[in-house]
Amino acid sequence: MLRKLILLILVLSLPAAAAAEVVSESRPESVVLPAEANPHWVWVSDIVFHHMADGKAYLVDGDSGKFLGMLSTGMGFIAPALPSDYSEIYSPEIYFSRGIRGERTDVITFYDTRELKPTGEVVIPPRRFAAMPTLNYSSITDDNRFLVVYNFTPAQSVSVVDLKERRLVGETETAGCALVLPSGDRRFNMLCGDGALLTVTLDDQGEVVGKHRGEPFFDPAKDWVTEKAVRWGDTWIFVSFNGNVYPVDVSGEIPIAGKTWSMFSDAERDESWRPGGIQHLAVHQSSGRLYALVHQGEVFTHKDPGMDVWVYDLEKQQQLQKIKLNDIATSIQVSKDDAPLMFSIFIGNPTLDVYDAISGKHLRSVGEIGFTPTLLQTP
Amino acid sequence: MKWLDKFSENSARSVARQSSRRSFIARVGTLMVGAAAVPLLPVARASESTRPAAPTETGDPKSCDYWRYCAIDGFLCDCCGGSYNTCPPGTVVSPITWIGTCTNPVDGKDYIVSYNDCCGKSSCGRCLCTRNERDRPVYQPFLSNDINWCAGSSVDIAYNCSAAVVLGLATEESG
Repeated sequence: MLRKLILLILVLSLPAAAAAEVVSESRPESVVLPAEANPHWVWVSDIVFHHMADGKAYLVDGDSGKFLGMLSTGMGFIAPALPSDYSEIYSPEIYFSRGIRGERTDVITFYDTRELKPTGEVVIPPRRFAAMPTLNYSSITDDNRFLVVYNFTPAQSVSVVDLKERRLVGETETAGCALVLPSGDRRFNMLCGDGALLTVTLDDQGEVVGKHRGEPFFDPAKDWVTEKAVRWGDTWIFVSFNGNVYPVDVSGEIPIAGKTWSMFSDAERDESWRPGGIQHLAVHQSSGRLYALVHQGEVFTHKDPGMDVWVYDLEKQQQLQKIKLNDIATSIQVSKDDAPLMFSIFIGNPTLDVYDAISGKHLRSVGEIGFTPTLLQTP
Repeated sequence: MKWLDKFSENSARSVARQSSRRSFIARVGTLMVGAAAVPLLPVARASESTRPAAPTETGDPKSCDYWRYCAIDGFLCDCCGGSYNTCPPGTVVSPITWIGTCTNPVDGKDYIVSYNDCCGKSSCGRCLCTRNERDRPVYQPFLSNDINWCAGSSVDIAYNCSAAVVLGLATEESG
């Protein structure tokens, strides 16, 4: 009995003795990210469709699959705007004074890239477009000086924000035209309902000094392009619901339509291959490779997910490769470096898949990335 | 026949709404100088023509397969305290909408359907339904179901659910 009691006392005293030998940790500190962004990082935007007042953006390292941090980004969230030098993050956000009710305030929130903390904001007109997300709803001019935000009430306009001086420059009407497609340091284009591009020119203060509406470059009644155009150098690449590619040179004030070509051979068309998804195109700039999410389906399946990414040489306008995905996807993106990764995600199953963008080999899957992830961006 | 009563009530209400919707569309039409006016025509034609008798219809309005929902994208109001053509309690209808053209399997005719978002509360979260027949990109806004049409309501962009109101028979040119 005595022996048992001594044993019991010894056992009970063990944790205390062990604890005494461990140096206690200090209060948790917040992690600070590296000054240089890894090109294999990816920002995942989430509209959180079932709780839209609480939009989010998540940062994930594609190499390790590690979840690095996030932003809280308000109601009806589309995506953060990332400048080419990744010096800051600019997030168009909407807030109401009583959660989903009350006075509406639209802001551009400025975030620090290392601590992911807000460092300031610019209040903009409370008219920012609210829709299923597409990257082309707000964009930064090529020199990272101005952020242009598309508004829809449904009167159409854009707000221009000076990112250097952190001030609203103003708002200008853009009747009949939507999207913001940058095409220079002081110029951007918008896509109009008749299939033409509107060219808007700014001065050095960001004031609109010119608007020029071009000729339609596609037939919006027969072969309409998606809003999810991607830019390759000075060329915007538009893809129609039917899989026709419309390149448009925007290096000058007057856009010049290039030769239209098809993503699909006759045999592939017979098999009902189509583009589709929320973010169904991505470009690797230096190699000129276009990545396109495709699926087999009838007409008007243009938002359906796909299990396949087909790769094209934009210069030669030829198909290069077919990549079979690990899981269905509604969005794809490619990193900007010379050993690029490809990312894919499905709005209905928030698992981020990571691939070698050259070989197409699946590298890893990262689960629990939000709720209804929409758009992918790489620094 | 209960649905018929509701449809009639809704039609009466929509007459009151129609004037503001029409004047609004006229305003936007004026703004869209040079833009494709095609998306606006079905609306104008439907509102100007004599409203036809309510269509005979079958099916489950809580199902995404229900014929009226051919271009809907969102939570079905029928699962959220409203019905296929009414909004849930306490929500506010968005007077501006996107327009679809759906074939009624009962009579085989095409109807112009207005998808009215119901607004002012957070997402209902039930019966999520996405169908994209004749859906167009957002640069043709009045045919696009990607847009949060609560933006045009008195309570702004808080989106709750979507209802599907028959505006009239589609003419051949409007399909």
